[in-house]
Amino acid sequence: MATEVHNLQELRRSASLATKVFIQRDYSDGTICQFQTKFPPELDSRIERQLFEETVKTLNSFYAEAEKIGGSSYLEGCLACATAYFIFLCMETHYEKVLKKISRYIQEQNEKVFAPRGLLLTDPVERGMRVIEISIYEDRCSSGSSSSGSSSGSGSSSGGGGGAGGR
Amino acid sequence: MPRSPGTRLKPAKYIPVATAAALLVGSSTLFFVFTCPWLTRAVSPAVPVYNGVLFLFVLANFSMATFMDPGVFPRADEDEDKEDDFRAPLYKNVDVRGIQVRMKWCATCHFYRPPRCSHCSVCDNCVEDFDHHCPWVNNCIGRRNYRYFFLFLLSLSAHMVGVVAFGLVYVLNHAEGLGAAHTTITMAVMCVAGLFFIPVVGLTGFHVVLVTRGRTTNEQVTGKFRGGVNPFTRGCYGNVEHVLCSPLAPRYVVEPPRLPLAARLKPPFLRPELLERAPPLKVKLSDNGLKAGLGRSKSKGSLDRLDEKPLDLGPPLPPKVEAGTFGSDLQTPRPGSAESALSAQRTSPPTPAMYKFRPAFPTGPKAPFCGPAEQVTGTDSLTLGEDSIHSLDFASEPSLDLPDYPPLSAADTFSGALRSLSLKAASRRGGDHVALQPLRSEGGPPTPHRSLFAPHALPNRNGSLSYDSLLNPGSPGGHACPAHPAAGAPGYRSPYLHAGAPGDPPRPPPRSFSPVLGPRPREPSPVRYDNLSRTIMASIQERKDREERERLLRSQADSLFGDSGVYDTPSSYSLQQAGVLSEGPRGPGLRCGSRDDLVAGPGFGGARNPALQTSLSSLSSAVSRAPRTSSSSLQTDLASSGGPGARPTSGPHRSPAHQVPPSPPGTPCSPSYAGPKAVAFIHADLPEPPPSLAVQRGWIGTCSRGWGRRGQPWAPPGLHLCHFGLPEDHPPLRAPWSPAPGAPPRGAVCRLHLAASSLFPSLSGPERDTK
Repeated sequence: MATEVHNLQELRRSASLATKVFIQRDYSDGTICQFQTKFPPELDSRIERQLFEETVKTLNSFYAEAEKIGGSSYLEGCLACATAYFIFLCMETHYEKVLKKISRYIQEQNEKVFAPRGLLLTDPVERGMRVIEISIYEDRCSSGSSSSGSSSGSGSSSGGGGGAGGR
Repeated sequence: MPRSPGTRLKPAKYIPVATAAALLVGSSTLFFVFTCPWLTRAVSPAVPVYNGVLFLFVLANFSMATFMDPGVFPRADEDEDKEDDFRAPLYKNVDVRGIQVRMKWCATCHFYRPPRCSHCSVCDNCVEDFDHHCPWVNNCIGRRNYRYFFLFLLSLSAHMVGVVAFGLVYVLNHAEGLGAAHTTITMAVMCVAGLFFIPVVGLTGFHVVLVTRGRTTNEQVTGKFRGGVNPFTRGCYGNVEHVLCSPLAPRYVVEPPRLPLAARLKPPFLRPELLERAPPLKVKLSDNGLKAGLGRSKSKGSLDRLDEKPLDLGPPLPPKVEAGTFGSDLQTPRPGSAESALSAQRTSPPTPAMYKFRPAFPTGPKAPFCGPAEQVTGTDSLTLGEDSIHSLDFASEPSLDLPDYPPLSAADTFSGALRSLSLKAASRRGGDHVALQPLRSEGGPPTPHRSLFAPHALPNRNGSLSYDSLLNPGSPGGHACPAHPAAGAPGYRSPYLHAGAPGDPPRPPPRSFSPVLGPRPREPSPVRYDNLSRTIMASIQERKDREERERLLRSQADSLFGDSGVYDTPSSYSLQQAGVLSEGPRGPGLRCGSRDDLVAGPGFGGARNPALQTSLSSLSSAVSRAPRTSSSSLQTDLASSGGPGARPTSGPHRSPAHQVPPSPPGTPCSPSYAGPKAVAFIHADLPEPPPSLAVQRGWIGTCSRGWGRRGQPWAPPGLHLCHFGLPEDHPPLRAPWSPAPGAPPRGAVCRLHLAASSLFPSLSGPERDTK
């Protein structure tokens, strides 16, 4: 099967975007950034429940760490005040550091867990931290040039056959 | 000041901010120039310093409040938007700390506004934790810049207080010459400061209250929590801390530099059910498959069989059921029986499988060998190991048949052979090794593995196979599976010894070598053997030898029939096994294992025996033709037929000969016995193609929307809302009121209702259009 980059045009070649699942924010604790760990039914046959939950919980913990009010954030604020906020030109804020960590984590999860299952996580920051977007891709014959609306059944069956052969 | 697309530059909106900036900078500059020098001299040099710092602070916060992104939400993508089609409600309730908060759909931004978010009409953006739009800074005040706005207010208030106070000091000290320039200017500055003092301080006080109560201006002005509870408050101190000390939130609109997305989407994709079912088996199958070598697959199957068999064959070992007995013995005491089986086996020609279960041959039964973890994880490895063991068996068959083979020595040899075999297997499958590792349950869930192998009398298989191998010197020599190049060695020991595991290394070594022999729960078969006393095992062995020879003779004649039979029942068995072991794709590989199925036949329920026998006979006949080729051909045949017949081939070619004995117990259980069961297994366990996902492709790019409560969303002129996806993906636009293609025309009555209406004409509506 042709390898697929996360690029819409290239995706059409072999793995087409089938649908997207959006994990909404969990506001039960106020406006702190955390996402619902409820397992969406669309992913039921694509990924194991605990893998998904573990990913979301890890992300939630990252965001909690980013928003934590502690000594570091206080010092950062004081330093910024003292330098008339010129420090922001030179230094990365604590939140931004954690966001980079999150981005790396999401990429790693995509590579190791989600991409092999035909899923792709989108960093919530790109969506304004409102949702975690999970793109579900369907197996599709590399030669298939059908539109993205083509049946997923054929795609999955071909994927299954391919998988069988591959295995 | 972030500007949403589509807005034009309006000079009018810059007037307040320009005025505010001019007044601030101008007045302060005048103050510093005209008032501070005298104050420096008369009062203290600290005055200008204090005022200077304060002014700098005011400027910095003013700039931050003016130019910082307040927390603008980017517009939602189309595909996110389509989830909430226009028939969705305008409000969505969400529970925040037990209080229902209403989230409103933003028609501009295409998402439900998070709590505390509001859409700024001036900026045309949804802003997180929206406070208000401040014209004096020409910016929304939101989550990100509220702190700077608040500090600006505080510092400006302080600065104004300072300016007015020090100006007053100056003026009072220059009261005699109020007409002087400096004094006049100072008074003008004081007037300006005094003029804006009341509003600024008033606003500052207002925001101090808001901060302590944890509310936004928007919430306060719209009276959201009037008389109610604010779910967003963190307590007075917590609220102040949150405003002043919380980390600076990130910008959403501008994408930060991201790491390149290296994830590659390579179909076929993994599926949870596939992973759950197959992983351990999968690898093994491929490993034990045709390419991996007959022995391996065979052994695997045999292991399965052994697992199944024990129930059928009791501990006593009648001559006929020897093969089965071994299997059953191995099976029953599965978890810990491996050791016993091994020990028992030792007395008689030790089964390589058994040996695997039991690392230290001479050691007491069960003692060392299968630790629970070992057993648990060993399932997979056991299977694979079985394959290798079987191959070993075959290799050593000739030697095993030697009557003068001393049990202990044989056992030792076996153990050594097993170890060597495992080593070979491990080396052979280097890649498999890696693949196998993850499949094996590392001591974790023994049950799954066990369950997988439960139906397969793995131990029995092993036992029987090994027994067969012992009894059937037919395929000694090099025909043995590639793992045992020394198969042809006359002595039982040779292959094993060649393998290189001298003596009886403790179990760990074999395991360490071969992934197959890894932490697999070998206990099933070995245990069985261990349970038997040595003398009994020896006698059984002898009987098996005799029967094996008889069967060989019979198999010649029965080969033809046996093939078919083999394919029938054992196939089902093997299929079952195959199903358990791997998904469909691995069928061929499974077939190899089917040999084990065949071997396990007797134990499996008796049904196998006849099939096994036939298969064995066929195998033996095949083997006689050409050991390796026949077995392989059989195997392929079996693979194609999916029958257990292949089983004999699955094992090393030696197995055919050996297989005959396994079925020996002579209980020709009707094939039907195993048949239904096997069939059931087939149905249950056969890998099915991955379920096709009922993904709704149509979501993307569809455009069948009606304008619901939310009203028509704003879209740039000329931009079709459903622009996501290829043009050909879009179904043709149709008005909401027009019927969908294929839908019955309005007023058409379905048959059911037509019938009903005919029965109850009075109940039918005014329009009765009959189709």
